[in-house]
Amino acid sequence: MSFAGISFDNGIFATLTDCSIVLAVVCLIVSEIIMNSHKKHYPVGAKIKKPAFVVILHAAAAILALPLVIRIILSCIGLVTDDKEKFFSTIKLLGQGFGFSFGIFFFTIIFSLPLGLIVAAGKMSKIKTISAFFTVYVSILRGTPLMLQLLLVYFGPYYLFGVTTGNIEIGPFNYRFIASIIGFSLNYAAYFAEIFRGGIQSMPKGQYEAAQVLGFTKMQTYFKIILPQVVKRVLPSAGNEIITLVKDTSLAQVLAVTEMFTQASALASAQVSVMPFIVAGLFYYLMNVTIETILGLFEKSMNYYS
Amino acid sequence: MNILEMHDIHKSFNDLDVLKGIDLSVSQGEVVAVIGPSGGGKSTLLRCATTLERIDSGKIVIGGDVLCDSADGKIHYCDKNMLSEIRSKFGLVFQNFNLFPHFSVRRNITEALIHVHKKSKEEANKICDGLLAKMDLTAKADEYPCNLSGGQQQRVSIARALATNPEIIFFDEPTSALDPELTKGVLKVIRELAQEKMTMVIVTHEMSFARDVADRIVFMDGGVIVEEGPAYELVTNPKQERTKAFLAGY
Repeated sequence: MSFAGISFDNGIFATLTDCSIVLAVVCLIVSEIIMNSHKKHYPVGAKIKKPAFVVILHAAAAILALPLVIRIILSCIGLVTDDKEKFFSTIKLLGQGFGFSFGIFFFTIIFSLPLGLIVAAGKMSKIKTISAFFTVYVSILRGTPLMLQLLLVYFGPYYLFGVTTGNIEIGPFNYRFIASIIGFSLNYAAYFAEIFRGGIQSMPKGQYEAAQVLGFTKMQTYFKIILPQVVKRVLPSAGNEIITLVKDTSLAQVLAVTEMFTQASALASAQVSVMPFIVAGLFYYLMNVTIETILGLFEKSMNYYS
Repeated sequence: MNILEMHDIHKSFNDLDVLKGIDLSVSQGEVVAVIGPSGGGKSTLLRCATTLERIDSGKIVIGGDVLCDSADGKIHYCDKNMLSEIRSKFGLVFQNFNLFPHFSVRRNITEALIHVHKKSKEEANKICDGLLAKMDLTAKADEYPCNLSGGQQQRVSIARALATNPEIIFFDEPTSALDPELTKGVLKVIRELAQEKMTMVIVTHEMSFARDVADRIVFMDGGVIVEEGPAYELVTNPKQERTKAFLAGY
């Protein structure tokens, strides 16, 4: 790769980068050693003030790491400048794939969250048959590969009931897409159900009792008192699942849905390059950063009570 | 007229008999303190009266309405409508407050008024402001429970119990989770309620408070009422050996 005639992969620039990054690491290690001996002067749990020398070392490490950052950025520009047309067509095709990935993600969240609540309620039901049914449901859906479940949803109707699914279409969506949404929703509902159940069961009994004595109906108690507090409790672990789902959408390629990872695979073999995979990775990461930000804001908005 | 009547109450958890035939009635305007060692059944008695536990046999009447009866040998509880009618007649103050942490102080107090008692928002707010003034918490109306001291939280929960204008209030060890300093403020509020002739049943370990505020003290141990009588007399001159032994500890 080159930019303005400079090669980044070898030569003087590369040597410079390598040296500077080694120095940066040395700086960090030294500062860490200083901090450790410095900590001994403070009582346990006290807030530790960084010595000036450590601050300087950190700043030096940051500056020394800069060439590497520049090198990475320039390499990316190099990717573009080497063959602009190829790059943009890659972006375009991956963008289309991303549309499908996002579609799977979006509909799965829409369906699996409420379904998870139902499964959680079912598992906690006092009626033995209902709770047994949902316990088995969660056990199977969590205990078998998601890929297998997707295949079963897709091929199941034909093998079990002889229904041909090839012609089924809802709006612009074919059955491959629909089957992957069904598969993902059923699977993620099982995980969400366990998260919700944990949240609901962690609620102190006193909240139910206070609501009962005040005369709230069971419905009012659940929707006004319990669930709003459960949301706060389950948000971190539910966020975990949501972010995993973004990456799991790539499993839809077993149903030949042209989601982003399928596209990236096809492009990678056509171009004999890993570049499409790296760009796809960037797409996934950008999406997850966005989700993280939204979840963070959401969490912050509930910080007014503890 | 008796606001609360409990007759021959039996309650067991699995094989453990917690209440072994309790009789207790509380007349209007009366303040009854229930004292006794831990595990003696005081809290269970209160939880049975406030519908949080179902009794095995006996009869409970609150404000003239029959909550449950076992006249024919089997316990029968009243239907749903009567149950909510009865629940609107009493208030309960918990040992650990059980405020709703996601609601402001104001909403903690008004929520039941608006959504259970179908009062308008203005009406509910008016009741709330009155109660907060009485509890010396006017400035805290828009705070959340986590920002209040234990004593303030307990006073909010007393205000919440009072909001629906109940005929009787039950206190389940209202100061046990508080330090002596915070206890004072809560006891002061309960004392004022007693002066206003509020009917109250108070489970407590604050012996001097019980002696001063209650009209009658009930001493419970081992699932039975060992002794009961006028507050001052029971504390200063107990008749039963068990009561003497217990009070000697204070």
